[in-house]
Amino acid sequence: MTTDLGFWVLQTLNALQLSMLLFLLSVGLTVIFGLMHFVNLAHGSLYAFGAYMAASLAGVLGYWGGFFLAPLAVAALGAVLYFTLIRSQRRAGPMAQVLITFGLIFVAVDATRLIWGDLPIGIAVPAVFEGQLALLGVEYPIYRLFIIALGLAVLAALTLVLTRTQVGAMIRAGVDNDQMAACLGINVERMFFLVFVVGCALAGLAGAVAAPVLSVTPDMGLQILIPTLIVIVIGGLGSLKGAVAGSLIFGFVQTFGAVLMPTFNSVLIYALLAAVLVIRPEGLLPAKG
Amino acid sequence: MFTHTPLRLTALSLLAIGSLAYAFVAGFFGLEILAEIAILAILVIALDLVAGFGGMVSLCHGALLGVGAYAFTVAANAAGLSAFPAMVLAVALSAGLAFVIGAICARSIGIYFIMATLAFGQMAYSFVFQSPLFGGDDGLSGAPRPDLSAIGIDLTDSRAFAIYAIAMVALTYLVAAATLRSGLGRSLIGLHHNEKRLRALGLTVWRAKATAFAISGALAGLAGCLAAQHTQYISPGLLSWTVSGEALVVVILGGLGTLVGPIVGAVLFVVLKHEISALTPYWHAIVGMILIAVVMSRANGVFGFVEARMAARKPKPVLQKADADA
Amino acid sequence: MNKTFRAALAGLVTSTAMLSAACAEDIKVGLLLPYSGVYAALGQDIDDAFALGLATFGADSGATFEIVREDDEVKPPVGLAKTKKLILQDEVDVMVGVVSSGVLGAIRDTVDGAGVPLIVANAGNDEATGEACSPFITRISFSNQQVNRPMGKWMVDQGVKKVFTIAPDYAAGRQMIDAFTTGFTAAGGEVVGQEWPAFQKTQDFGPFLANAKASGADAVYVFFAGGEAISFVKQYDSFGMKAELPLYGSGFLTSALYVEAQGPAAEGVITALHYVPTLDNPENAAFVAAFKEKTGRIPSEYAVHGYDSARALVEAVKAGATDRETLAAALPKVSFTGPRGELRIDPATNNIVQPIHVYETVAGADGLTQKVLATLPAEADPVNGCAMPAAVN
Repeated sequence: MTTDLGFWVLQTLNALQLSMLLFLLSVGLTVIFGLMHFVNLAHGSLYAFGAYMAASLAGVLGYWGGFFLAPLAVAALGAVLYFTLIRSQRRAGPMAQVLITFGLIFVAVDATRLIWGDLPIGIAVPAVFEGQLALLGVEYPIYRLFIIALGLAVLAALTLVLTRTQVGAMIRAGVDNDQMAACLGINVERMFFLVFVVGCALAGLAGAVAAPVLSVTPDMGLQILIPTLIVIVIGGLGSLKGAVAGSLIFGFVQTFGAVLMPTFNSVLIYALLAAVLVIRPEGLLPAKG
Repeated sequence: MFTHTPLRLTALSLLAIGSLAYAFVAGFFGLEILAEIAILAILVIALDLVAGFGGMVSLCHGALLGVGAYAFTVAANAAGLSAFPAMVLAVALSAGLAFVIGAICARSIGIYFIMATLAFGQMAYSFVFQSPLFGGDDGLSGAPRPDLSAIGIDLTDSRAFAIYAIAMVALTYLVAAATLRSGLGRSLIGLHHNEKRLRALGLTVWRAKATAFAISGALAGLAGCLAAQHTQYISPGLLSWTVSGEALVVVILGGLGTLVGPIVGAVLFVVLKHEISALTPYWHAIVGMILIAVVMSRANGVFGFVEARMAARKPKPVLQKADADA
Repeated sequence: MNKTFRAALAGLVTSTAMLSAACAEDIKVGLLLPYSGVYAALGQDIDDAFALGLATFGADSGATFEIVREDDEVKPPVGLAKTKKLILQDEVDVMVGVVSSGVLGAIRDTVDGAGVPLIVANAGNDEATGEACSPFITRISFSNQQVNRPMGKWMVDQGVKKVFTIAPDYAAGRQMIDAFTTGFTAAGGEVVGQEWPAFQKTQDFGPFLANAKASGADAVYVFFAGGEAISFVKQYDSFGMKAELPLYGSGFLTSALYVEAQGPAAEGVITALHYVPTLDNPENAAFVAAFKEKTGRIPSEYAVHGYDSARALVEAVKAGATDRETLAAALPKVSFTGPRGELRIDPATNNIVQPIHVYETVAGADGLTQKVLATLPAEADPVNGCAMPAAVN
């Protein structure tokens, strides 16, 4: 089985698909952390909210209505959170932030149960992406290829913005040293808000694209939280490159671990995380240093 | 430096008298809750020792508790040890595991430390969950309670067990306080404030951190033994990271770095949980909102708030500090 | 269990017995179900149907039933604490419920030691009516092996010779698949490969599907439930595998509770279960209509557990049971024809004996529905080390 080229192609695509989904989630979280030093444990809940919004909107407007509107709805929720909780806690230290956002998880899970009920819900793959595509000798679901393409597109767009635009330069300056950036006349507060809201929108987007592949359940935000945290810690907090590296490592280790070493699979990724932290306590590609 | 201010001593006495008095009058379910509080109190004292004083915010204390519970049950059931030797073994195993985790994570700080401990905790969880030796998802039953019939105490009685659990809280508190007053405790607090300086003074940082973590792990393991004896049934859920997260919530709710505060937090948390869950199945949301409100208030938990208010009412006792623990 | 505790309990039993002699028609029921956590929807279905069952059958028993509800949160220690509360503080006559096998394992010794009859309304772990059986525990739902074993022979009879199995790596997953494998290989089939994805940690089944595809099997047999069942069925379809490699499974996979969320991906999946809402018999028609009227939902297999638990309790009361002791003795003797067909309790294990229905999920007039392909005869589980004390039976 493992000597068959098709096996490797198929599993590589599976790994890439998982990596890209995790990338969409982790990039917002890691840049928010790098810039604002804010640990948002409720990021997974934003992803769940995105999935629920997409599922609800898909029922009314069709898949694409959900796809475009769910991230906006999550961004709006993010804006509300920013002004009510996040802004005043920015300087309160990681402990306070961890706990406030931990409390938010509790609230979010019960809020989704109240609004959408306890039963898992599902939505169909959009008609254009139904079926499979023959690729290098394997039949692969088109929707999964779409997820991979979307992840790569977001990566390209973010790279472009961060390296080639003035806003990107401001964000990089803010990550390096926010006080110095403020002295240079950058409106740091506005930049924080912008980055936070965009990060939330990306989490919502991840939820919306994941909804047709997975089932939408109240605890999906909690389930994805640990993988997302592992990704950004392995990659190194605060950097785009780190999020890419972390997502790819997680996706490939998880996928190939599952099929090649099933007995060790659930321990494998944690062992890897521990090993990374022992060798490089700040992750592989941290934003600073 | 950890000191027993008059306020802390008063709070401790009130807690001790209150819990013992309640243990003698409570009905059956009250005694169950009392034991639950006591077990949680031991876990959060252990966590406060490293998180509050050493800045080592751990998300693997649930796993350390679980390892203690499993080690106790397996040692008592499969290896046929009687309860106390099994407890010693379980506590030693938790301590050993905590030492290793502490040593490996010693270089990590802040969020990286949290994540590293989370990783080790989840490794332990996955291992126990998957291993058929430990009954997997179905857990293990039949953990024995210690036999104190020689001195006329019957621990299968809920009242006796609750009092025994309270005594274990007292023991835990004494160990934690003694640790903090020892040279190790002073190093730990110093490390939290300025690691570079202590390194320059010649302290072997990793060893101090690992030893403190081991003591904390031993206490968490003790909580695990009690949890196993209390329910006489254990399941992998004990090791889950959410147990660690909940413990952290309790520490914060009570007052980080006060050692007394977390006990207050444990009482509040368990009572609140039972009261609210009797009213609505959506009690998690209410607990979450209370947590957010406490943190937003910027007080150091409920007990920290009281401490700050008391301190504001009288002039700062600057000179008394040196002889406070004499 | 220690002597003092037993003595205290015995005292409690006699005092409640004397109390209940005074007002023989009062039965206090402790309902232990998850109202929060991952199985909250299941708990609600059982709760609704149990209340419906009491309302439907309770009237002609002459007794009044008082229900005390407790949430076990799907956490074994919580379930145990709530059980102790129900037994010692509320002093219930009978307990009903328990969705998770983990919770059942945790409360087994307490229920058994206190001598309180428990009607298991879901949890299917084989041990509960095997080596850990108790004269006080009567299971009215199903056992993991019961649902899967007959499907092995049926599939061989349909010409399926080689099967690849996938199930989550935990006790129930193992028991379901092992029972199927036993039945399947005994009938001459061959299991060509197995995958055990990590339970509740696997969201992407793609990696496992690739292995199934490459295995050369005629079909895939799986067990998944809840959110995982939805993800699995959808992902199986998205890889276009349904056409070349038909999907079979334990009936929880395409439960009426989840099939709507699976959508067209579930069409053509063939599974076996002890209940589907489309069973054609008058008892089921009445049940479905009443449940729909009450809740607006179609009853699931979980709902039927609640409904039949109420029926069993009422039958026991009709047979003259009034308190813990008499209820415990009467419950294993009940038998009746319910929505699932003819039910009885196996005296050797106190597990239910019931027919198993093979069904295909098909598109109906309003959404997906269940087409029953075959009804396999009721078969008692092997005793599996259960030693039932003779005194109570």
